[in-house]
Amino acid sequence: MSGHLLEIEGLCAGYLGQDVVHNASLFVGQGEAVAVIGSNGAGKTTMFRAICGMLEATAGTVRFDGEDITNQKAHKVSRAGVVYVPAERHLFPQMSVRENLVLGAYPKRPSGSQLDMIFRLFPRLEERLSQHAGLMSGGEQQMLAVGRALMSSPRVLLLDEPTTGLSPLLANEAYDALAELRSDGLTILVAEQQVPLALGLVDRGYVLDHGRIDLTGTADELRDDPGVRRAYLGV
Amino acid sequence: MNLTDLTAVVLDGFVLGLQFGILGVGLTLVYGLGGIVNLAHGQMAVLAAIIIARLIDGGTQTALALLIGVTAVGILGLVLDLTLMQPVYREPGEGRVLLGLLLMLGVGFIIDGILEWRYPIEALTLRVSGSPIRILDVPMRRGSIIASAAIIGIGAALALFFRYTTFGRATRSVIQDEQGARLCGVNPALVRTVVFALSGVLAGVVAVTRAMTTPVDSTAGVSLTVFALIVAVVGGLGSVSGAFLAGILLGIVNTVSAFYIGSYVSTIILLVVAAITIVVRPSGLLGVKS
Repeated sequence: MSGHLLEIEGLCAGYLGQDVVHNASLFVGQGEAVAVIGSNGAGKTTMFRAICGMLEATAGTVRFDGEDITNQKAHKVSRAGVVYVPAERHLFPQMSVRENLVLGAYPKRPSGSQLDMIFRLFPRLEERLSQHAGLMSGGEQQMLAVGRALMSSPRVLLLDEPTTGLSPLLANEAYDALAELRSDGLTILVAEQQVPLALGLVDRGYVLDHGRIDLTGTADELRDDPGVRRAYLGV
Repeated sequence: MNLTDLTAVVLDGFVLGLQFGILGVGLTLVYGLGGIVNLAHGQMAVLAAIIIARLIDGGTQTALALLIGVTAVGILGLVLDLTLMQPVYREPGEGRVLLGLLLMLGVGFIIDGILEWRYPIEALTLRVSGSPIRILDVPMRRGSIIASAAIIGIGAALALFFRYTTFGRATRSVIQDEQGARLCGVNPALVRTVVFALSGVLAGVVAVTRAMTTPVDSTAGVSLTVFALIVAVVGGLGSVSGAFLAGILLGIVNTVSAFYIGSYVSTIILLVVAAITIVVRPSGLLGVKS
């Protein structure tokens, strides 16, 4: 047992019998922040969906805290502590911000201290508490999606392109919030195509290209890699 | 136009509308959660009615008979969800709606067939004794008042349950965004099973409250299902308060048109009002926009 909190080995997954992710392996240690970088269509979302039980993996294993959770039902993966924030957010549009947050703690009742922690991180959410989630701006919805995920006190947070639809300013703010969570000790796996932002947050990263992980290294190594620089950093 | 007449007709419509409402709620919840149009909903109500009528005929105390009849269709809902509906839930997209609709249509035919074969002239009538009570100067039969009070009480309890309890909130989360619900740790299969059973119980409640105002005979299933469908669609599929609102609206439209024009056109007018509502608000009065 190597003892990493989240370990993915030889993962294959896709749609309609066609694999999109091929033989992907990665790990995330306790308290680490790790990025999966890749362009649109590289397979980041497919990989994340297979990790969290939203999509069936056709091969490979997902281990969390030493336990095999491959192809467990999504609600069980979430209750075990692996909580996924999809790029499309999947909020409950006709519920208030408060109700969305309360559901994040399901099946437990939310505690006041959790809510306070989330309001410290995202003061906007406290101002908008009774607003319907569907009527909020993209930036606020992103805050709510992360806030909702945090309500269950996750042990690993999986974020799929948290900057989707956000202006550069809001994208920076989103990553400031993630940095704060990280320094509080939360384990984070983030998929991102805005590579400079992601590499500013994480310790290590994996480059996913056409469904295969073809490069891995520390944030600094990736920043200095000629391939990464050409493909993602525009240098 | 006589004002007392109008008040009486509107009040009658309100009583009928509450029954329509509770009828629609059972259908709308099951559809909102799993995409299943329960075309046997009215037949389940009639099944409860006939069970209760047989039990009372056989000498069972009325209260116990009501309890058994309502519980029986609740269990039927539970069993249908856990057996016949399982392959339906595994079907993605439009296939699910069609398969669910056809299977439940079949269940409806089976219940109808059995009832017409074994109990062709059976009907449930629950007489509530006592003189009429005047409401807004209109004498209302006690049966209507008790039935309406029961429905309002149950409707309020449902509303509170869905708004404030953890399981109720989880139910709404599956209706609004099933994937989001799963990410929050909600098990949609469990929610669907519980709510299908609840929908069966509500069909039983329809039978009981309806029988306090009108006999419920063994052939009433199809028309109850059709009313349930209209109410659920007009109210907005998946919305409990929408179903009640639509039920009351359509109940009043039904009695007013039956009184002033004739009962032969009231169903047509009902359908026209339903069609107009859907054209103006495609997702229903209080529907979840997708």
